[in-house]
Amino acid sequence: MNPSDFNSHDEFTRRRFMSNAARLYLGVHLFPMFGNSVASAAPASAGASASSQAKYIIYLYMNGGMSHLDTFDPKPKKKDVMGPMEAIPTKADGIFVGQHLPKTAAIMDKVTVINSMNSTQGAHEQGAYIMHTSYPMRGTIKHPSLGSWVLKLGDRINKEIPGFVAIDTSADHSGGGFFGAKYSAAPIGNASEGLQDSKRPGEVPKEDFDRRLALADKLNQKFHSKYPNADVKAYEDLYREAIRLMNSKDLKAFDLSQETQATRELYGSGRFAQGCMLARRLIEHDVRFVEVQLGGWDTHYDNFTAIEGRCKEFDQAYAALISDLDKRGKLKETLVVVATEFGRSPAINVEHKNGRDHHPSAFSCLLAGGGVKGGYKHGESDATGSKVKDKLVTVQDFNATIAQALGLPWNMIVMSPSTRPFKIADKGTPVMDVFA
Amino acid sequence: MSGLCLLVTLPFAAAQGSKAPKDDPAFIKKAALTIDQHVATWYRRQKLEVPAVTDDATFMRRSFLVAIGRIPTAEEARAFLEISEAGKRQQLVDYLLDSPGYSSHLANWTFDLLRLADGKIGSTANNEPYRNWVRNAVADNMPWDQFVHQMISAEGDGWDPKSAAVGYYTRDRGMPLDNLANSMRIFLGSRMECSQCHDDPFDGPDRHDFYELAAFTHGQGTVRQDLMRPLWDEMVKGNGLRSPEYGMAQVIWDRVYGMSLSGGGAGRIELPSDYQYRDGKPGDIIGAKTPFGKGVRMSDKKDDNDGRAKLADWFTSKTGTQFAGNIANRLWKRVMGKAVYEPADIYVAPAKTNYPELMTYLEQLMMELQYDQRAFQKVLLSTRTYQFATNPDTSVVDGGDDFHGRKITRLNSEQIWDSLITLAGGDPDKKPRRTLDDRIFVGGKPVLVGKKTMTQLSKEVLELKSEGEVRAYFNKFVADIKSGGGGGGGDSMMMNAVKTYNKDAQVRASELPSPAPRDHLLYLFGQSDREVVDASSVEPNVGQVLSLMNGFVQRQLVNNPNAHLYKSLEGASTDAEKIRRLYIAILSRPPSEEEMGWMLDEVKASKQNGYRNIVSSLVMSSEFLFLQ
Repeated sequence: MNPSDFNSHDEFTRRRFMSNAARLYLGVHLFPMFGNSVASAAPASAGASASSQAKYIIYLYMNGGMSHLDTFDPKPKKKDVMGPMEAIPTKADGIFVGQHLPKTAAIMDKVTVINSMNSTQGAHEQGAYIMHTSYPMRGTIKHPSLGSWVLKLGDRINKEIPGFVAIDTSADHSGGGFFGAKYSAAPIGNASEGLQDSKRPGEVPKEDFDRRLALADKLNQKFHSKYPNADVKAYEDLYREAIRLMNSKDLKAFDLSQETQATRELYGSGRFAQGCMLARRLIEHDVRFVEVQLGGWDTHYDNFTAIEGRCKEFDQAYAALISDLDKRGKLKETLVVVATEFGRSPAINVEHKNGRDHHPSAFSCLLAGGGVKGGYKHGESDATGSKVKDKLVTVQDFNATIAQALGLPWNMIVMSPSTRPFKIADKGTPVMDVFA
Repeated sequence: MSGLCLLVTLPFAAAQGSKAPKDDPAFIKKAALTIDQHVATWYRRQKLEVPAVTDDATFMRRSFLVAIGRIPTAEEARAFLEISEAGKRQQLVDYLLDSPGYSSHLANWTFDLLRLADGKIGSTANNEPYRNWVRNAVADNMPWDQFVHQMISAEGDGWDPKSAAVGYYTRDRGMPLDNLANSMRIFLGSRMECSQCHDDPFDGPDRHDFYELAAFTHGQGTVRQDLMRPLWDEMVKGNGLRSPEYGMAQVIWDRVYGMSLSGGGAGRIELPSDYQYRDGKPGDIIGAKTPFGKGVRMSDKKDDNDGRAKLADWFTSKTGTQFAGNIANRLWKRVMGKAVYEPADIYVAPAKTNYPELMTYLEQLMMELQYDQRAFQKVLLSTRTYQFATNPDTSVVDGGDDFHGRKITRLNSEQIWDSLITLAGGDPDKKPRRTLDDRIFVGGKPVLVGKKTMTQLSKEVLELKSEGEVRAYFNKFVADIKSGGGGGGGDSMMMNAVKTYNKDAQVRASELPSPAPRDHLLYLFGQSDREVVDASSVEPNVGQVLSLMNGFVQRQLVNNPNAHLYKSLEGASTDAEKIRRLYIAILSRPPSEEEMGWMLDEVKASKQNGYRNIVSSLVMSSEFLFLQ
């Protein structure tokens, strides 16, 4: 038996298991595309094994549209595009970043920059939606977010705690969509406080606590039989999940107070930094997908002041996360993504105090760890950062690449309850070039 | 301003005597009946059975939550359930719409629609006076057409109560195109955000149309901020360390000038540098033109000063019935649970909906009621259609309501919060509303308290006519602060009693910071972040359940002997009576016989703790979280 047979056999059993499990528990149908295309999702080349190393995803989302020109795609020769922004060299040959990212510059040897991102959506709501779901917004259906897809296709690793955690994230970016609440994120509003209310209040005796739950359960069952509705059912299930979580020894995954002083200093004290630190703790406890958001990138007005502020929040925390994961030997199995809904215009709008407007036709995203190359640049925008010049990567390709890094079947079709076919990355295909 | 609406209503007003339809109970009643007739006709046509009307307890809870956004207090619930009067449902509707809770609840809805957040990342400018303006407009029941007109045509001083609606634009300073796309969406149900950047491939609006529309609102500068430019540059450059004077200058630069809106809309605009179609070149100047309805145009030859007012006229009175239809459908959704056509963001002409006669009637009704939102909702709340029993089955008709009974939905986050504080502290509407915070803050501390307000400061600054005057004024401002210091002066004439609430206050969501911070229960249950239109979510997640089991509910209700809901137990002598009262306080209904059995067993087994366990389980129940 050669390795590729083994590979496809694995895929087959996995697929069969998943579709059975799905029928049994989820009420949806999974089936692969024709022939052996699932196996071909991970072509039996040297790249395949190496590219499915990742187990976890830390998805850092720059809400508002991060200026590619002032961060990861500077155009040092074009003063009219750059305004007062300077580019600085990084530890990776030939890769430059904006001047407010000095710490990130020092770890760029571990990062793949994609400078040829392209989105079809130029407004925030639609742009953030397609990044998170691979599909354009529709009035008639709510698509699952990326974290939900990862749980659906890859399942949880640690069954006691949530498999998908969203830190400081908008509720409409972390929903389970038509997969239902079971696949939606556990939200964390403030990383320093961890998962709120995850302990039984001290003054409530265990016995009373259990009695309350038993009573509530009786009431709920009655209500659910009267209204057999998916949302109503979801709460019934969530109680079970919450109890499991409260009893889990892994609850400490959410507790940042257990971090050492040295680690805290490494990350810094900002809100985003706490989120990154918590994300690392969570993946160490086998949480599959953690999203952390950093907002405020919508720099229409006074771009350069705003960018400086955003970079201050981002720079130390991101660099710390990458080097901390590396030091702990976790970077290999963790894909760290930096994503955003679009870039900013090369034109500087003087009327708006040197602002930059939305720019979906070319922008930048980052991948690091999880089997991707370090110090690597994929694709290119033109001389002013206005359009993609080489190796265009669509939002869907980007999401397919994330799925590929985890070894998930990116072209597997999952039917929605309304029996329409969906895939984790819609029509996207992975950018194999980024894998080491 | 709205000529169309006057024309429609005048003959009617004459026929009804002196009362305008919006104030005439007979008219409201007749309108409700007309709606029911249209719905009944639809049922006949579809050969469907007309759903039953729901029971009193469900009607009461539904009406409280829909009209005022909270459950009834135990006292209110008992009063309603114990009276047996034929007209009590209508009386309840009247009571609710006259209560202060009505505007509190509608304010949340309006904040979501307008994306009204208190502040903005990276700026000390805020939306305080604008928020206050919106909140007051809702409380005063300002007709929708006037409300929209004042925002779209706004100009001037951001702190002057007369022009504070400029916040509608300054909230989006630097992104006027997004602002405009949102206006089209929320006031007309016209989606144009895609045509900001490209033509619609499916025959919709193209980019040229969008820029023609944008021309109306073009030129959203600040009022004479340039007079302060040299002074401000010195402050920023001269001293990298932030001096106390820098903070004082920032008040004037950001919070006075930065919150003002100059000009009235130029009426012409340049095509953007990446303009890609044959009907224009980048840099071409084009004149304003409306994309549909009664056409309005402006010249591309010279800057005008009334583009926003012209656009406001067009929105409210020159788009046929679209302006009325959009708000009628949105309010229908708010009251009935689902809109007549969905999504409510994309307008559908009545003839193309599933219920042409009904939708035509609703558009007319909105105009006849002179865009009075309260009166329109009163009509809907008075229909039999509104009273239909809950139906667990999902809709059978695509793209809208099939009126097949009420859809069961989770309470939104504000309804949950407002209901929980009702249980904890009694009627929350007895607490005073938040007022405008017009204190002058320097470095986070109020200064010149009792001596000067932001409103006065703004008025004085915006009247300055030269750079010299600005410098002189600023020097005096600095001297006054330094000599006067922070502490409150004794001048009671000038003292406005500022009432604000921090995030921990147990007051209506509408009075809390907007949006509530992310460690607040409101966030957990899906409050909109007020960055995008209508972003609130009712999706379940595990954090919500943890919060119900271990968080606010336990601290403030279950384990708090002073919680209001325990007051309803006073005077109850038997266990059964106590249980009954807890049910009414929390679920707004008496327990079934079976439930009474369970709960009596619980009291027997757990003694005094039994009542806490009952309260806890009732609040944790899905019945508490869902609107039936």
